[in-house]
Amino acid sequence: MEQKKKKTSSAKTLQTAREAGNFGKRILASARLAAEEGKPVAWSMVDWWLGGTIAKAIGIELCYPENYGAFCAAVRKAEPFLDYAENDGVPNTTCGYARNGIGYTRRLKENNFIIPEDAPGGGMPKPLFLLGCGAVCDARYKWFQSMGRYMDVPVWTLEFPQTGVAEFFMPGYKEENIKFMVRELRSFVEFLEKLTGRKMDWDNLSERLDTTFKTHELAHKVDLLRKSVPSPAVNTDFWAIMIPHLYLPDDKEALAFYQRVYEEVKYKVDNKIGAIPNEKYRMAFAELPPWHTLGIFDEFAAKHGIAFAIESWNYHAPSPLPESEREGVNDPLELIARYSFHKFNEYTPTAQLNCMDPTIFTAPYLKWVEDYRIDGLFCHPLLSCRPATYTLMHLRNLLMEKCKVPSVVVEGDIVDLRVFNEEEAHVKIEAFIETMDHYREIRKKEGFEW
Amino acid sequence: MNELKGLARAAQIYLDPQQRARELKAEGKKIAGYLCCYPPVEIMTALGYVPIRILGDMNEPITEADAYLPTVMCAFYRSILDVAMKGRYDFLDAFIGAHACDGAERVSYIWRSYLKSPCSFYLDVPHSNHAAAIDFFKVQLNYLKDELEKTSGCNFSQEALREAVKLYNKQRSLVRSLYKLNRQDPPLVSGSEMLQVMVSIMCIPAEEGNSLLEEVIEEVSNRSAGPGQKKGRILIWGSLIDNIAMTKLIEDCGLNIVIDDTAIGTRSFWVDVDETSDPFEGLAVRYLDKIVCPRTFRDTKGTRSEDLDNRFKYLKIMAKEWNVNGVYFNIIRNCDIHGYEIPEVRDYFEDIGIPVLVIEQDYSTTALEPLRTRFQAFAENIG
Ligand code: SF4
Ligand code: SF4
Repeated sequence: MEQKKKKTSSAKTLQTAREAGNFGKRILASARLAAEEGKPVAWSMVDWWLGGTIAKAIGIELCYPENYGAFCAAVRKAEPFLDYAENDGVPNTTCGYARNGIGYTRRLKENNFIIPEDAPGGGMPKPLFLLGCGAVCDARYKWFQSMGRYMDVPVWTLEFPQTGVAEFFMPGYKEENIKFMVRELRSFVEFLEKLTGRKMDWDNLSERLDTTFKTHELAHKVDLLRKSVPSPAVNTDFWAIMIPHLYLPDDKEALAFYQRVYEEVKYKVDNKIGAIPNEKYRMAFAELPPWHTLGIFDEFAAKHGIAFAIESWNYHAPSPLPESEREGVNDPLELIARYSFHKFNEYTPTAQLNCMDPTIFTAPYLKWVEDYRIDGLFCHPLLSCRPATYTLMHLRNLLMEKCKVPSVVVEGDIVDLRVFNEEEAHVKIEAFIETMDHYREIRKKEGFEW
Repeated sequence: MNELKGLARAAQIYLDPQQRARELKAEGKKIAGYLCCYPPVEIMTALGYVPIRILGDMNEPITEADAYLPTVMCAFYRSILDVAMKGRYDFLDAFIGAHACDGAERVSYIWRSYLKSPCSFYLDVPHSNHAAAIDFFKVQLNYLKDELEKTSGCNFSQEALREAVKLYNKQRSLVRSLYKLNRQDPPLVSGSEMLQVMVSIMCIPAEEGNSLLEEVIEEVSNRSAGPGQKKGRILIWGSLIDNIAMTKLIEDCGLNIVIDDTAIGTRSFWVDVDETSDPFEGLAVRYLDKIVCPRTFRDTKGTRSEDLDNRFKYLKIMAKEWNVNGVYFNIIRNCDIHGYEIPEVRDYFEDIGIPVLVIEQDYSTTALEPLRTRFQAFAENIG
């Protein structure tokens, strides 16, 4: 019998999305080149533009173990690193990206910091320091601290306050948060200056910031266009095009790239060209994807006409910083702090309206289901990323209670493909179609707009 | 009923830790429940609240929490939400959540979304002990004070806060004295007795806790039959333990638990609050900087070994002063905070010749038995 070989990656529907992979490769290649030339390189967590831009402005090249984890998973080469980290005592329940990074670092050390020949994507060079971050998850700083163990390099943790919904609205609370972030960023600049012996290039920083705002504005406009029916782009497109805005938004090439993304998506909207041929259902996806099996979304589209219209809150660029927040702010560090804080709290009014916590990972979806006319939520609880999983049950309850939007749960992992059961996912989606139909009727009866 | 004293009284309180709070509530007192070791009990006390530590329950199968939390999270915090959803903490007048770790943070949020109490506050705890973080934390503590004051029925006074600081410093010093009795061989207090005392004093008013501690110290100082000498003297490091089923199992396997670095143990009591002119200053420094928990990031210091000393030297000191010959790492499964730390702390102890046993456990009394052989083997190994 002829065996059909399963496709693991997605074909992507946007031409620009197909080109976006180059950015990921470029990040790694630039870091290696910098290391060869004796320039400083650091490993950074995604920090929602808090510290990365600052480090780059002082002349440090960055690469991202988190993205490297996703890359190793996508090419199905993460397992040996996972095993190698576990073998040193790191629990197999910790973040898959972290174990991938720890396993990689352990191998790098044993190879006298010469990148192993078989390192996926060419590998990451030894860093001068590690840039952790307090946003979103404990792994973001504990993982980096634990990696320092193999390299004897300093770790800096960027503070990121995590506010409650009611507290956010307390008098003066927000400004205290910003003040704290700015002070922390100043200490970070001092740390960098001491470590590199260089002086901060403030003009360069302001310029980078300016580019970041422009890139993000375009990324945000693309998100707005995606509200159109039929959906002009889907989740697999987004997970490709997000690389430049998440990691390189301050890069002129990323800005130019986003201009093209915007034009491509706009053209599709203007001409009512859907990303998938026969859109029947619009779903949202929470939160991190199964990188190793993205092709499954193409199958859902082909089989059931499901367009994933919006996904992964945490990866999206925020709406532009309101003018009122920029007015009179000349310190680039303050602008950075305000912008990052804005990313995490712009949906707090939605949370307040619904009497719920938290804003992060939860409130955006309450708004999105209406804006994007969502029929159902695909929940992807992860074996190894708890922070993006903790609130999924809560989110399901809220969507059902407040918006009559049902959800389907398919367990898996970002890196560990052994725990993702494709057949089961197909069976569940098949059954879920009827549920979505049912709740469409209910929403209609109850006077919802979609 | 309250005629019981010392260890017997602690054992009684431990059996139903919230009972005393419910009694006090019936008498008109206000009760504040808080998560983890970071919300300062001094502030709650100064405003007339009786602070009680919110606990999980290893005996209670997790059923209700499944609808709100995924199974992949720390079972201790899942258990907390589970018993809360079943009504165990319905009597609280104030709920103080905290950003101690991801688990504590998300449970604080979800708790507030479903369980409403007259006062509720989410305390953001910064990740580091940087100067700016301590200042920010001080501001947070002031917000906590403001929020509690709204429902406390009394006005805040600096004087009352200073008194509360003294009261709890006394408690801390009594706790340290109690632990010191375990430096001798055999130790005077078993790990299970110690845990009963720790749980008790976290769930009753501080004055009562202090009397209880004084009684226990007197009682055990004069006892002839303590836990007796076992094969090994161990330190427990890691995620918290709040059920004596765990400590009893360890002790039954031939190990004396003489000291710990866990959150329902020394970590909550080891250091005092400095009596600063602005009491919030002393509180912010004590809670954010002086409590040593791996959830707080400390800047890298010098070489790797200097850095490790900066983070873990206190453990070396504890091990030496309590003369331990083995360390048990108690890791509640899915506890990232301690999980990432395992290889480093393990190597740190092994470098000074102290063997380590690492166990990831599921915070359930029904899942303990399979661990017995591992503790027995460890006892044989170090004995
Ligand atoms: S958010 Fe999840 S996947 Fe990302 S670093 Fe944190 S634990 Fe890992
Ligand atoms: S055991 Fe770990 S995850 Fe659980 S509360 Fe403690 S630090 Fe948090």
